[in-house]
Amino acid sequence: MSSVDSTRIGFRDALMHLAKERDDIVFVSTDSLKVVKGEPFLEAYPDRVIELGISEQNGVGVSSGLASSGLLPYICTYAGFLTMRACEQMRTFVSYPALKVRFVGANGGLHGGNREGVSHQFIEDVGILRTMPNFTILCPADGNQVYQAMLASADIEGPVYIRIGSGREEKVFPDGTPFPLGKVRTIVDEGNDVALFCHGFVTNRVIETAKRLKEEGIGAKVVEVATIKPLDRAGIAAILGKTGCAVTIEDHTIINGLGSAIAEVIAEGNPAYLVRLGLQDVYGESGFPDELLDAYGMSVEDIIEGAKKAIKHTKA
Amino acid sequence: MDLEALHAMSLQLRRDVVEMVYRTKDGHPSPSFSVADIITALYFEVMNIDPSNPDKSDRDRFVLSKGHACPVLYAALARRGYFPVDDLYTLRYLHSKLQGHPYAPKTKGLDATTGSLGNGVSIGLGMALAARIQKQTNRVYVITGDGELGEGMIWEAAMAASHQKAANLTVFIDNNNYQSGGTVGEVSGPYPIEDKWKAFGWHTQSIDGHDISQILQAVENAKAETERPSAIICKTVKGNGVSFMVGENSWHKRVYTDEEYRIAMKELGGVL
Repeated sequence: MSSVDSTRIGFRDALMHLAKERDDIVFVSTDSLKVVKGEPFLEAYPDRVIELGISEQNGVGVSSGLASSGLLPYICTYAGFLTMRACEQMRTFVSYPALKVRFVGANGGLHGGNREGVSHQFIEDVGILRTMPNFTILCPADGNQVYQAMLASADIEGPVYIRIGSGREEKVFPDGTPFPLGKVRTIVDEGNDVALFCHGFVTNRVIETAKRLKEEGIGAKVVEVATIKPLDRAGIAAILGKTGCAVTIEDHTIINGLGSAIAEVIAEGNPAYLVRLGLQDVYGESGFPDELLDAYGMSVEDIIEGAKKAIKHTKA
Repeated sequence: MDLEALHAMSLQLRRDVVEMVYRTKDGHPSPSFSVADIITALYFEVMNIDPSNPDKSDRDRFVLSKGHACPVLYAALARRGYFPVDDLYTLRYLHSKLQGHPYAPKTKGLDATTGSLGNGVSIGLGMALAARIQKQTNRVYVITGDGELGEGMIWEAAMAASHQKAANLTVFIDNNNYQSGGTVGEVSGPYPIEDKWKAFGWHTQSIDGHDISQILQAVENAKAETERPSAIICKTVKGNGVSFMVGENSWHKRVYTDEEYRIAMKELGGVL
């Protein structure tokens, strides 16, 4: 059992755990070993680390070759250097032949990139990968959930993407909580007035929103959608059937992320009023993580307002 | 195979390409011809492979980084016994196992999915490093084009491969001097090619890429290297083997008329 308080350490500790149990694990580093404090892994498994230097496209190509030879490569670096710089390599040489490469993208969202600014804040990663067949996309909420998601996804077919952050995330779930691979999870259930769908490092503020709404007599469900692909459409439809309205909260552009995924379920036979919170087709800027989420429309007050708007339109 | 048989096979593979392109009315004939002798040497003499056990883990690997030359690779796989020769005439048709550019999951004997240029050296490096991790002695062969050397990723992989001392990786550079838009000198300026690979820390050789004995010797020299990956710069002729294709770059991707088909087959030693 791991008790980790950061997504980066969650990744590293899970990789240590996996490497202890099996001999096919390889860590592909594009000068990114230190990003995840990977020195203990290097020390324990020196022949399981491939250091390629700063070359992400090459890193994904090498991972494709490793996976096609029967190894299980984990390539971890900043999310955008994978999903944007090496986008075509992820598509044509991993997703298309459905190879078992594991991608771990750091600095997910404004929270993940925070003071680094836009070049290191990745708000498009999930949207880019949603367009690629065969991919499993996971957005765990905290360090321990990253650890659990790593173990849960090690053996699944095809490529997997796991979104992690800066290494400074709040705990959401108690240690040992399993990761609900492929399923949505209702983590607060105060009634059927509105569903608040979310994932990742905004989850605690969504939980806080549900508490505040309850004080006002509004019953909200907080539903974590940590597996963006394949999407638990049936689970989402069942919740929409109860509430008839929803708010999505994601530290990502609202284009082609969680909000779009829920909108697709709504449009295809599960009518509900939807408010999408997240980056409103804009870039962020430098700042502290929570300050950025507040400044870009993901404050508790923004979520409360979104919930009330969704409920009002549903009842009207 | 002896040299005479290998030469005969290289003509057979070229005839297969002509037949495929003529019948299916698509594909890249002249880029296939410039690598026909290298592929013949690899598949019929050099590589440790077993068509009856195509996935055996310690087999040698091949990556056609210039994936558009796949008709000649498909012909080699068919003639080596991975699938029936008649399947060649489904090239680029709906539901064919022979995609327009190589797709490993569909084609028995293919080790890598390729097609967009610049990616094959990285994929081959991954395979070479996998062999090291798995404590296997297999080798990895890659063919890139010369125009393809304009892709930056080639040089990312070149730097990493020498840093990793991937001596089990051999890259052939098909220096046919042409790319889609004209000669490489006009379009992209990759020269001097050998000096560049040398500067990146590779063992280098320059040979005639249509002389199978030189290809075999160069492979032996590469195998003798224990520290450095090997680059074999192969002077080749786009369309080599058919007179009207040589020096006429439209054959990069062009379909034979009935008359051209007859002439090509005759020049390649076919019986009509």
